[in-house]
Amino acid sequence: MIGEKTIANIGGGAVSIAQHVGGIVVLTGQVLRALIPPRIDGRELVKNLHKMGNRSVPIVALTALFAGGLMMLQSGPFVKKLGATGLAGWAAGYAVLREIGPILIALMFSGRVGANNTAELSTMTVTEQLDGLRALAIDPVKFLVVPRVIAMMVMLVALTVIGDLVALVGATVVGSALLEIDASTMYHSFADNLKPYDFLHGISKSVAFGAAIAMSSCYFGVTVRGGAVGVGRAVNAAVVAAAVSIMLLDFFITYLAG
Amino acid sequence: MSYFRTRIEAIGGAVLGTSRAALELWLVYVGTIAGIVRGFSRRHGGRGRPKGELVRQLHAIGNRSLVFIIVTLGFIGMVMTYQACLQLGRVTGDYSQVGSQFLRLLISDFGPTLSGMMLATRVGAGIAAEIGSMKVTEQIDALRMSGVLPIDYLIVPRFIACVVMTLMLTVLGSMVMYAAGGLTAQYSFGVNPSTFYDLSFVRGRHLVLFVVKALAYGAAIPVVAGFCGLRARGSSEGVGWATTAAVIGSSFAVIVLDFIISAVALFLADGDL
Repeated sequence: MIGEKTIANIGGGAVSIAQHVGGIVVLTGQVLRALIPPRIDGRELVKNLHKMGNRSVPIVALTALFAGGLMMLQSGPFVKKLGATGLAGWAAGYAVLREIGPILIALMFSGRVGANNTAELSTMTVTEQLDGLRALAIDPVKFLVVPRVIAMMVMLVALTVIGDLVALVGATVVGSALLEIDASTMYHSFADNLKPYDFLHGISKSVAFGAAIAMSSCYFGVTVRGGAVGVGRAVNAAVVAAAVSIMLLDFFITYLAG
Repeated sequence: MSYFRTRIEAIGGAVLGTSRAALELWLVYVGTIAGIVRGFSRRHGGRGRPKGELVRQLHAIGNRSLVFIIVTLGFIGMVMTYQACLQLGRVTGDYSQVGSQFLRLLISDFGPTLSGMMLATRVGAGIAAEIGSMKVTEQIDALRMSGVLPIDYLIVPRFIACVVMTLMLTVLGSMVMYAAGGLTAQYSFGVNPSTFYDLSFVRGRHLVLFVVKALAYGAAIPVVAGFCGLRARGSSEGVGWATTAAVIGSSFAVIVLDFIISAVALFLADGDL
């Protein structure tokens, strides 16, 4: 009896995952289709760019500062034990530019912007504003979803560029304040060991993360059902889906790009 | 002149708002701890709380995050080993220390912190969404009217469940991460499993750090998320805002706690962690 219930649960879970993935793919198709004659509502786009990008700078900068400091805290003692302080920037910088920077910034972005966007879109959906748009012959995907997707992709890349820089500053600050590795050593260590490709590797990840966050947050926003409880559940589902897809994409991009 | 005035007013307003929020967060935390302590006395213990609530929360927070934690941490373990081996291959080509160093970092930092970040997303959002919807549908006021403290009734069981389950999921997640890393190193770089699964760099203080971090995150997530849920106002929009704030707040709490605990540990260990 227990076996039957477990199998039913697993099957139900698989079906609902397949349903959501399919829904996200269909929405992506609709977004791409809406881009074919590229006519985007400029005012909505600028509004979203400002709301999603400029207003996330403080939280992203703080996260990046701590992330850079953390990498330095973890790698610093080891590097010092080996007596190779010149390599301090290599270990921290490499980890920050390729992995920790893009992932942590994307996770914070998904919490700040993706969840917010789901909350906003799902509130519009449950208060039937989307149906109102449809009644006025305005395609909600074209008017609401497309500008948001573009804004999130552009702004996550821009924020990752800022965040990478701030994280390297954080690593330098921690190195000189807690580990007695002076700033000039750190600077030369960064400059000698980090290649432009490391930076581009991280940026290419954040393009994909931005698309994943945007699509999952818009999908759960427009398909929500049932009042305030539904909105909470949609936001929860959107951040979980974004986190899973960030990890999966990270893995595949790392393998493909090397 | 009026430009400066509005600026100064905005700064002052932000400062006041932040300190008020900090005070409320502190009160929720104190209330939770007081609720747990009160729970030990038989007269007040879990007054009005439905039977089996703690078990239900343990299930909702722990068991239902299991797949999520295994998938995300498994993949990130693979990525981290891949990047580390790739870089080592370019510099020295000696993979003999990858596994032991990876395990040291995993136990003292990455395992608890990444599990904490993932749980902050999954569990924090869930708690805030649930409590926020109760707040805007006036169920919290109904609780107060029947003489039940909302913090006792709602946050205490979630707090206990989250502390217990974060520790367990962190142990599980770290093991998955380590195993996934070992498999990647073996199949992509030909590192022998017996060289990779090498426990010689782990010391007692790393394990202490692991447990301290997991407990700290487990305690921070429900308090921050519950606080955000209780502050929800308005209707569905308010619930959305509360959930967003909970995700941000609890993820940020994890990062800041990680930094503080790591720095303190570094000082206590005299730079030899």
